[in-house]
Amino acid sequence: MLETGSIMRPSPELPIETERLILRPFTRGDVDAVFAYRQREDVARFLFDGPMTRETCAEAVQTRVRQISLADEDDRITLAVERRDGGELIGEVTTIWRSVADRQGEVGYIFNPDFQHKGYATEAVRALISMSFAELDLHRIYARCDTRNVASFQLMERLGMRREAHFREHKLIKGAWDDQYIYAILQSEWVAA
Amino acid sequence: MTLPALPIETDRLELRLFERADLEAVMAYHALPEVQRYLDWKARDRVEVKAALEGMRRQTRLTRPGDTFTLAVVRKSDDALIGHVSLHWHDATAAQAELRFVLNPVHRRQGYAAEAVKRMLTFGFAEFGFHRIFARCDAKNQASARLLKGIGMRLEAHYREHALFNGEWDEELHFAVLDREWQRSRKVQEFTAHRVA
Repeated sequence: MLETGSIMRPSPELPIETERLILRPFTRGDVDAVFAYRQREDVARFLFDGPMTRETCAEAVQTRVRQISLADEDDRITLAVERRDGGELIGEVTTIWRSVADRQGEVGYIFNPDFQHKGYATEAVRALISMSFAELDLHRIYARCDTRNVASFQLMERLGMRREAHFREHKLIKGAWDDQYIYAILQSEWVAA
Repeated sequence: MTLPALPIETDRLELRLFERADLEAVMAYHALPEVQRYLDWKARDRVEVKAALEGMRRQTRLTRPGDTFTLAVVRKSDDALIGHVSLHWHDATAAQAELRFVLNPVHRRQGYAAEAVKRMLTFGFAEFGFHRIFARCDAKNQASARLLKGIGMRLEAHYREHALFNGEWDEELHFAVLDREWQRSRKVQEFTAHRVA
């Protein structure tokens, strides 16, 4: 337990290893591997941004290189997900510190469809959530997705997250009405599971 | 958005802008701890309630996102001010508003809140052109949850322990209705009312 007034700077021990994956900080050399999926229309469909140019992608990777610890609200830890066999970068996962006082976090994930249907995303996000509860001591973690993004919300359901919200036409995103699910899980539920 | 024609009426109520002379009536409910929690202006005494009333008196139009439009709820039979309802414009482009309502606890359980809220929803969609109106309530506040569900709003969210409030974990419900859903449900209500009459 931290004393009031002390500066909390959660910086988890990295990389995180799972059975088949390594979750590690980004490096400048990751641009090509990230561009391979961030340029794709099918990947961008349910993201806030459209497909990336190589230039934006290089900037994005440059930003991610530094996202390895939390100092302020809305800071994020973003990790590249790499296969232990073969070493390919297959996607990215992130934890955002949404509320310091209320110990709330949001997780997000983007994966290269070329490596789909092998359970990698579930394995990576499970490791990210475990780390976020254990090392960042979050009380609740949530994730959002477009209601049409079946793969994304099925992943959350596999991890035991509860559907807490179904917002209908609550926002305009890229010129169209957005329908959104929010899934969440408490630290107590995660530990019990 | 233009200035709407006021007051607006229901069978038993009149919804009008607040006036300086409303202070006593607002005093009667605004400073109650059970009501305070849900209000924008924290007010414990006469001076603070007066400031809150001044604030609400200025909430007369929705000209830009972030604005709030507040109406006093007055009972027609005896001109008693029994609460207020408001719409808060949330989003610059997606025409979203949050509805809030407060009723003096003395006047609960008579359907006044539902009557005022329904009128305000109709008003919000018709006069301000909102696309979606939502309302939040504490999960423990069953009366409000029943009311919102009863008038045809959908339960869109049930957040568990998403925030601390006075040192305790909060549980919050979100209800919402889209303009086209409200048009439909109003037609059903009018049809039913007509049949009964």
